[in-house]
Amino acid sequence: MIEVEALTKRYGDFTAVRNLSFSVKPGEVLGLVGPNGAGKTSTLRCLAGIIPVTGGTVRIAGKSLAEDPVGAKRALAFFPDEPRLFEYLSVRQHLEFVARVYGVADYKALAAPLLEELELSDKADVLPGELSRGMKQKLVIACGLLHAPQVMFFDEPLTGLDPLGIRRMKDSIIRRARDGASVVLSSHLLHLLEEVCTHVLILKKGDKVADGTLRDVAAQFSNGEANVSLEEVFIRATGGSET
Amino acid sequence: MIGALLFLRLTSLRNLVVYRIRRLREPKYLLGTAVAVAYFYYFVGRNIRTAWAAGSVPGGNPLGSMTAFSFVPVCVVLVLLGTLRIAYAWFSPPENPGLRFSEAEISFLFPAPLTRKMLIHYRLLSAQLGILLTSLLIAFVFSRAGYLGAHRVLRAVGWWVILATFDLHVNGTNLMLARLRERSAHFLLWRIAVVSFIVFYGAAIFWSAYGMAGNFASTGDYSSAGLSAAAASLMQAPVFHWLTLPYRIVFGPYAAGGPAEFARALVPALAVLALNYGWVLNTEAHFEEGSIALAEKRAAVRAAAQRGEMPALGRNKPKARSGPFPLAPVGVPEVAFLWKNLLSMRSSLFSRRALFIIFGIMAGLSVSLGPHMSGHSISVQSGVMRQFVVIFSAIIAGYTIFLGPQIARQDLRSDMPSIDMLKTYPMEGWRLALGELLAPTLILSVILWVAIVAAAMAVDPAGDIEWLTPGVRVTVIACLAFAAPLLCLIQLLVPNSIMVLLPGWHQTARARGQGVEMFGQRLIFGVVQLLFGLVVFVPAAGLAALVFFSSKWLLGISPAVVLSTLSVVPILGGEAAVGLWFLGDRFEKFDLSTEAR
Repeated sequence: MIEVEALTKRYGDFTAVRNLSFSVKPGEVLGLVGPNGAGKTSTLRCLAGIIPVTGGTVRIAGKSLAEDPVGAKRALAFFPDEPRLFEYLSVRQHLEFVARVYGVADYKALAAPLLEELELSDKADVLPGELSRGMKQKLVIACGLLHAPQVMFFDEPLTGLDPLGIRRMKDSIIRRARDGASVVLSSHLLHLLEEVCTHVLILKKGDKVADGTLRDVAAQFSNGEANVSLEEVFIRATGGSET
Repeated sequence: MIGALLFLRLTSLRNLVVYRIRRLREPKYLLGTAVAVAYFYYFVGRNIRTAWAAGSVPGGNPLGSMTAFSFVPVCVVLVLLGTLRIAYAWFSPPENPGLRFSEAEISFLFPAPLTRKMLIHYRLLSAQLGILLTSLLIAFVFSRAGYLGAHRVLRAVGWWVILATFDLHVNGTNLMLARLRERSAHFLLWRIAVVSFIVFYGAAIFWSAYGMAGNFASTGDYSSAGLSAAAASLMQAPVFHWLTLPYRIVFGPYAAGGPAEFARALVPALAVLALNYGWVLNTEAHFEEGSIALAEKRAAVRAAAQRGEMPALGRNKPKARSGPFPLAPVGVPEVAFLWKNLLSMRSSLFSRRALFIIFGIMAGLSVSLGPHMSGHSISVQSGVMRQFVVIFSAIIAGYTIFLGPQIARQDLRSDMPSIDMLKTYPMEGWRLALGELLAPTLILSVILWVAIVAAAMAVDPAGDIEWLTPGVRVTVIACLAFAAPLLCLIQLLVPNSIMVLLPGWHQTARARGQGVEMFGQRLIFGVVQLLFGLVVFVPAAGLAALVFFSSKWLLGISPAVVLSTLSVVPILGGEAAVGLWFLGDRFEKFDLSTEAR
């Protein structure tokens, strides 16, 4: 469960996110969309506790990120768009390290199927320098999933993945949501959102333009037309231009 | 958390060693390692053996008989550098002050269930590994003559105290800056106050030492005993004594002459360390955004270095700037490369930090020379300064010719990642090579010109050398300045030719994991550069000398200088032309996809 109330993020005089409120219940997948510079990454970083919020509250699995950051972070996983790995830890050692940080006692039993699922089993003893970008992305995903998070934040999750990897990633997100996880994902790939998300939140210049189920948001910007695509909705909602 | 940190560091270290050993199977790494090992054995290894055998520095003095003079220079330099570092942090703070984490650490640890204090502890402990290694290296490897007489293990602990305290203080400063920036409406006033305090504090120390140094200079006793007596009286001067107390406490264990004195000095030093630790831990500030910005900047600098570009000295991201001159759409295409490469150089050359460093060097020089000058007449002072200018200019000129090409890399080397695109340009190879080399040639030439003019103007101001008339002086300046660009261009051909001849080596230098083999490889490059310079310049210089000495009796000095220059310039020009043709030809035949493997 993710509960966001009046979230505001400022960098000096610049307001990246303004008074944003929404919630994501277990089983829901929220797609965060908006033009470049709309505040998507700032929002995700605030929700994951990577950077402090300027105002408002964030609750992860019932715990306030400000008052109990450790408890809240124990329930979440953040998947950045760019895989950043430790240069001299092998794939397996990355999982060992993450297990230690999150206190996952039986990580070996959990790691094996994860590596299998992400097709990393035969690369387990390889350093990141020998992995392709897609493989590195998969390793980041494996590390994030190791502690079975209840809340997941994906920033452009399909970047660098091959078609099969994209299919598996989408299936994985949907399956984990069905298992009760709350998911927020940010992407410019609107077809991904249509396939994976139950809800969508459109941001523009740090402000929420629309929020709701795909059907609700489509209805809001359809102007009475039938079968309006999400792409058309997005263009109408954001004015069709970058911030 | 400590367990996770140790796991990360020790496992990474083990994997790093294994990785480096495995890649010795490639000749380029093996050769580089062999050269580096030979170098270290010759210059350092013997020293370590002596140190381990003796335990303490041979001939070192215990503190009881240690001259105060021997302690002062090291400490003054370190204190000056440390104070400048802190002053700079307050003078020009980053937009988001933060703590140093890698991008991977941020990615894994910031969203992890760790408290703020855990992250700070992680950062502090993480730095300890480097500090410990540095302390051991200084105490056992690089301290050949040594200043003090204590056992090297105690000295290593002393160094650890100094470096750990400084690291804590820098972190505390960054956190305090972050806190003031986010919570105080008077951030600028705070900074002005702190910088003013540091300036007044430094000035007070300087003036208290300045008078003593002046007295010392007036005695004219430059013997070891005289220097020691002067330093001892400086240490006992009340103002200097109390102002430097914090520093002397921190340096106390390092300066101790024996175990008992070391133990006595360690207690207050650890107390200062603990104070800084408490300051860091209890300064409530958000360091996350600053740490992310710092990590991104370090990653960008590293990536730029791997691309072969000059790392930016400024802290901020490069900004779009107007070109160094208006670039006409039609004309000689080489000028476009000059324009592009000058544009990419400007942010490094004229950053705020670069100006701060230059100012710091000038201030340091005036401070160090000031006391020696005060006791002498104006003419003597002027003579000393002019001698200094001549020597300094000669050193700068030598470094510019032989090391400059390794530093000024805004040429083919920095464009290596875009080499496929360069090959699509409708230009002959030699013209493209010339265009790429114009910018670093111009920069190095300007430095040489300044050095030539400064040295030539500073030599013999009183006119004691009869033949050095103003006319000769101007002629020499003009002739050397005329030849300087050719010298720079020829020297720049060396590293660029190495890049196209041995692309694998160049790729190695850009690869991750810089190690001892990289050091060896750079030694090889340096030696090649030096040898090439000698092979090219010595015959030309010989010819110039021959022409000069055989014609000066007939024509006079100035015409002989001109004649010798005119005889040498075609040779240097021919060498440069052949080099450019060779480089261009190799570039046209260059196939990165096969040669870089």
